[in-house]
Amino acid sequence: MAPRIFSRLTRKKKQRVLQRHSLKGSYDAVIIGGGLHGLATAYFLAKERGMTDVAVIERRYIGFGGSGRNTAIVRANQRTKENLPLYAEGLELWPKLTDELDFNLMFFNCGNLNLAHSEAALGSMRLLVASAQFHGIKSEILDAKQCKEIVPILDISDRLTYPIMGGMYHPPGGTVRHDAVVWGLAQGVTNHGVHIHQGTEVTGINVHKGRVVSVETDKGAISTPLVLNAAGGYSTLISAMVGIQLPIHVLTIQAMVTQPLKPILHHVVSSGGYHCYANQTLKGEIATGAHMDPWPNYTTDVSAHYIKHQAEALTELMPCLKGVKFMRSWAGLADMTPDMAPIIDGNDHIQGYFMDCGWGYFGFKSGAVIGKYMAEFMATGRYPDRLAPFTLRRYEDHRLMGEIANPVNYGPWN
Amino acid sequence: MTPRLKDLPTLRINPATKLSLTYRGRRYGGMAGDTIATALHANGIRIFSRSLKYHRPRGLYSLDGESSNCLMEVDGVPNVRSAVTQLQDGMIVKPQNVVGTPEHDFMSFVDKLDRFLPAGFYYHYFHRPYKLWPFFQNRLRNAAGLGRLNPSFRMKGHFDEIYPSTDVCVIGAGPAGMHAALAAGDQGLRVILLEARPWPGGFFDYRSAEYSHDIPLHKRARQLADKIGERENIRFFPNTNMIGFYAKNLITAFQVGKESDPFDERYIEIRAESVVVATGCIERPMIFDHNERPGVMQVNCAHRLARTYGLLPGKRAVFSVGDDLGVEAAIDLSDLGLNVLCVADARFDGQASSLLEGLEKRNILFLRGWAVSKSHGNKTLKKATLCNIDGMMSRDFTCDVLVTSAGLTPAAGPLFLAKAKMSYDYFTNFFLPEALPPKVHVAGRLLGLMDSLSIEVSGRLAGLSAAADCGAPVQNHLRDAREEMEQLPGPARGSKLVQAPGSGRKRFICFDEDVTIKNIYQACDMGFDNVELVKRFSTAGLGPGQGNIPGHNLPMILAQYLQKYGDSSTTILPTTIRPPLVPTSLATYAGKCPDPVKRTPLHETMEKTPGAVFRRVGPLKRVRYFSNDFTCRKEIENVRNNVGIIDVSTLGKFRIFGPEALKALQRVYVGDMSNISEGKVKYSAMCNEDGCLIDDGVVIKRGDNDYYFTSSTNRADSTVEWIRYHSRHEPWNFCMVNLTDAFGAVNLAGPRSRDVLGMIADKDLSNESFPYAGYREFKIKGGVPIRAMRLGFVGELSYELHVPASYMRTVWDLLLEAGKPFDIMPFGLEAQNVLRLEKGHVIIGQETEIRTTLHDLGLEFLWHREKSLYKTVGAPALSFTEHQEGRMKLVGFKMEDPSRPPKDGSVIVDTRIRGHVCTARYSFTLGESIGLALVHSDLADIGTCLEIFEDNMDEKRLYATVVPTPFYDPEGKRLRM
Repeated sequence: MAPRIFSRLTRKKKQRVLQRHSLKGSYDAVIIGGGLHGLATAYFLAKERGMTDVAVIERRYIGFGGSGRNTAIVRANQRTKENLPLYAEGLELWPKLTDELDFNLMFFNCGNLNLAHSEAALGSMRLLVASAQFHGIKSEILDAKQCKEIVPILDISDRLTYPIMGGMYHPPGGTVRHDAVVWGLAQGVTNHGVHIHQGTEVTGINVHKGRVVSVETDKGAISTPLVLNAAGGYSTLISAMVGIQLPIHVLTIQAMVTQPLKPILHHVVSSGGYHCYANQTLKGEIATGAHMDPWPNYTTDVSAHYIKHQAEALTELMPCLKGVKFMRSWAGLADMTPDMAPIIDGNDHIQGYFMDCGWGYFGFKSGAVIGKYMAEFMATGRYPDRLAPFTLRRYEDHRLMGEIANPVNYGPWN
Repeated sequence: MTPRLKDLPTLRINPATKLSLTYRGRRYGGMAGDTIATALHANGIRIFSRSLKYHRPRGLYSLDGESSNCLMEVDGVPNVRSAVTQLQDGMIVKPQNVVGTPEHDFMSFVDKLDRFLPAGFYYHYFHRPYKLWPFFQNRLRNAAGLGRLNPSFRMKGHFDEIYPSTDVCVIGAGPAGMHAALAAGDQGLRVILLEARPWPGGFFDYRSAEYSHDIPLHKRARQLADKIGERENIRFFPNTNMIGFYAKNLITAFQVGKESDPFDERYIEIRAESVVVATGCIERPMIFDHNERPGVMQVNCAHRLARTYGLLPGKRAVFSVGDDLGVEAAIDLSDLGLNVLCVADARFDGQASSLLEGLEKRNILFLRGWAVSKSHGNKTLKKATLCNIDGMMSRDFTCDVLVTSAGLTPAAGPLFLAKAKMSYDYFTNFFLPEALPPKVHVAGRLLGLMDSLSIEVSGRLAGLSAAADCGAPVQNHLRDAREEMEQLPGPARGSKLVQAPGSGRKRFICFDEDVTIKNIYQACDMGFDNVELVKRFSTAGLGPGQGNIPGHNLPMILAQYLQKYGDSSTTILPTTIRPPLVPTSLATYAGKCPDPVKRTPLHETMEKTPGAVFRRVGPLKRVRYFSNDFTCRKEIENVRNNVGIIDVSTLGKFRIFGPEALKALQRVYVGDMSNISEGKVKYSAMCNEDGCLIDDGVVIKRGDNDYYFTSSTNRADSTVEWIRYHSRHEPWNFCMVNLTDAFGAVNLAGPRSRDVLGMIADKDLSNESFPYAGYREFKIKGGVPIRAMRLGFVGELSYELHVPASYMRTVWDLLLEAGKPFDIMPFGLEAQNVLRLEKGHVIIGQETEIRTTLHDLGLEFLWHREKSLYKTVGAPALSFTEHQEGRMKLVGFKMEDPSRPPKDGSVIVDTRIRGHVCTARYSFTLGESIGLALVHSDLADIGTCLEIFEDNMDEKRLYATVVPTPFYDPEGKRLRM
């Protein structure tokens, strides 16, 4: 086959990302949430499991939530052995998915550099690096000079409030165009005949004798035996409809971009000490964000304080950025669990009710691969081994996952 | 240089002060009052930049800086809005996104390839075969982006920040804004008035049309400005862009300094009781073929060029307008000497009769119901084609300037940010506020008002309403203003035309991103039917112009297109507007970039101590080492053999007292707090609801219902809240005080510490009168009150001394002095880290994870089971997990090779990861490498061999054996000496 660089030219019929359908009275499965997780599950249900009589219900428009608000960073240097292989598989999936969907997801494999500003931070990084290496994932500890060689615009002098002592470099990571993932999956889903219903709100889920029987929406009821809660920041509200209380706090997380520039930053740079990360998108904007507002909150309001903090942090780490202008800031919701690991579960308490939520601010990185496993789970009813550690029951058993060391500080007591 | 118009009363330039700038290596003249763009225009420069995608020539289009056309590099700073940046002498200006020269750009061939570059083309190209993607990715990266930043760029200038609070903040100093400020100011309130331009006046400032009784508008503007200047309670901020509007009327802005100001730019954060938004209108671009060719400009751009800067925009002009302001500008510019060939007005009726007479008097051709459909020219404008609205007739005009706008757009950004409910109004064709948040008011053209008097009265009304929010007695004034308003003309009908007939390929809806109308249709055809999705997919409005060019046209175009293809829903919805409303430099946001370092009372003393190496820990700076030997051998050995001293002032210190203080302590501490005996310290821990350790510290009973307790450094800020949270449903009577900053603390540790303290303490320190785990209060040197506790964190005889912060330096000096004969030495955090490791003591966050319970750490002895009455936080989880299998346990280990400790963070493995090394060090005291690790419980038995994988080890492993802890002095004799 001749290289199809300009695949659009050879395309026979016009592909649609979205197609309007009227809501049917019944589907084989209903997926709540038209974001990355919901669409990915729908896609793999259709493609790998042959289930195409599926409805994706989205209250706003596809990618309205976290999928369209994250800063598109992907990496596989998590802390626990349960997470690592999942994220690694997720990373490997982007190129495959690009080809499969025939939609350029723009995986920019630029590598991630995470800066350390203390001996303790270096110690924590070494755990991540050793764990990654043990799993065959590339990751290494660098000293400050090596950090500067990789990212020349860093200031490694001790003028900084938190001087850079070293870092963790993770070459397989990078960024993926987040909107493209949503649209590419939506196109794939649409091609398989799955219905995406935008502007449709789920108002209830009916359970009979411990089994899901139907989903109520503002556009009418749908009878279905399978429901997936992939509602991101709003997943607790969906879960409450079947009486399952999730141990999730929802917090606002902000991000912003500068005006587009010619390439100057060629990696994802992040710093826990400064609560700040930055990467330059393919469009040339420097996208930056990091920590959540530390109080539970369902709004997507931005704050004056945060954008200022971000400017302070970025201009200390990379002084030349003082000459750049912020153009836009926005916020999304992070559905935080007590252990910073997601809840991926189903057929427990209620047959036919599945959930893929509690991703906090990590939901983008491995969203596509979770869709694959979730589709397997929903289609076969068998809980895949990869997902089993993320059971909701771990909280009942007080067996938290060790994704972080220090206790979280975003509860209502804060 | 083009000669300037002279003697206009509206001019804002000062020809007497000559300035210069360097553009592409050549010096050009300008004058005080010029912006960079007007100075360039005066020198005949018409192409300012090349566009993002197609490298089309772009020039002066608007003087309000809402498109990327006029973004230039100035003194090394990319993306400077040259149209609104005041010229300063000696500026070095460069065009952007140019490959070659602005006139001859080598990339301009891309303009011909538009058929192959549909909306979102990059999603469809370049990924097959995938191995070629990185190549194309780099090409794309280099092609994208406007402006180039030098990696070694360092921003010069002074950046300041201020945080004023005010009664009323008025945004926009046009006629409405000035009236609002005056009305509120008359009530004696503090008023802040923000204006983006260097002077107040808004759209009155440059117009010669009559206000009333032979007073022209520009004179009226100056009268109002004088009044503003006279009021001491009105703070006027010119050159100030409002950028953010946050909850509870928090307004952010930045001001560009004049030469006389002590700052170059300053960040302003205003907290206002009430806000008046009076930002007026910008122009809505007319969309036609090649609607952004240099020579095409907006009405007020052409008008202000002449009236404010004394520059005629060209020689032969064609006007294509959609409102009376456009016709007025044509007449005025014709009077100033511009050859106006024709005025096309998209409206069929509604023009003011005086304007029609004015056109007729001057013999200017007026085409009713016509609009421009195409501009011609190789690079700059040479000819314009006009046609009537149904596209049946057309006429060509040879011209060098085309003044055009489709109508007006309210600059409603602040209202969107303030979360006003905005809806589309089909009469004004504006997004108008349907409901406003409390204490936010709107005035002037934002409401669709176009009549001068209506605008002024609406300003007064808004100012009075804001004054009422601040409690001013203005009810009568308000009533009068409302009555007056009712007599005046209301909102004017607005034009709804977006594009003239025609279907060319180069009809740009967004200049910044080179998005054409066709691109919008392509996005719709792919199924995107929502204005946000169309915006994101087509990228219209995502560029540096902050969406101001397409912001109004895009929703209108989309609604038209969807309607045409049978979408019954006709609501025109706005795209989301996000702060900052104006691109704002990171230097400005960063401001003074204060370094909020928190110091212990001993900070200065530590700085003077030889060899001290500081590390920043959160907001604190603490000494980690006292020499460049980072193994800290000397510091450690001195504590073990003689006596050492360390500043531990960062420990949390609290008093809790009141009849039910004990209940609160019982609630949060796992131990039993009811039996603390006098003169004793009680060591205990706090767990969270999962039974996981979150804090440890000591509790002392100082009197009836009066306790003093400590927390770890990390918890100093959150402990009070933790206790409050966990007692929130109880009617308990107790009080808490955080004394962390009120007291300093040192730990005096080592076998000679009693001797040292004894030299200065007014107290018998013998083991009998002050034993281990004892607590005593006494004085040293007869004056300084001390709270002393005998603890053993580092495993030696030691005294933790809590001292009022103001005495800390004295006490430190006294102890060092007294300790001289005993070879006292200060020790740092790393030495303490090794000392406590030898003792097997945990540091939370180092030896714990969020999932580590008391049992996992072997600290179950701290848990008192028999106090369920108090509902101790974490107790149910401790019961539940007590015998749970498969948990991670903390173990001590010794290395097989005693000389080689693993690095912290190495992992314990077999075929899988089974745990990790928390801390490991070579112990000089023991002559062995020891460590603490969290491992899976089946590896936790004494004697188990641990396989350790350190980073970069490949197939190699280190080996260790699990041993009991403490490693050092297991019987604890040395603490009790």
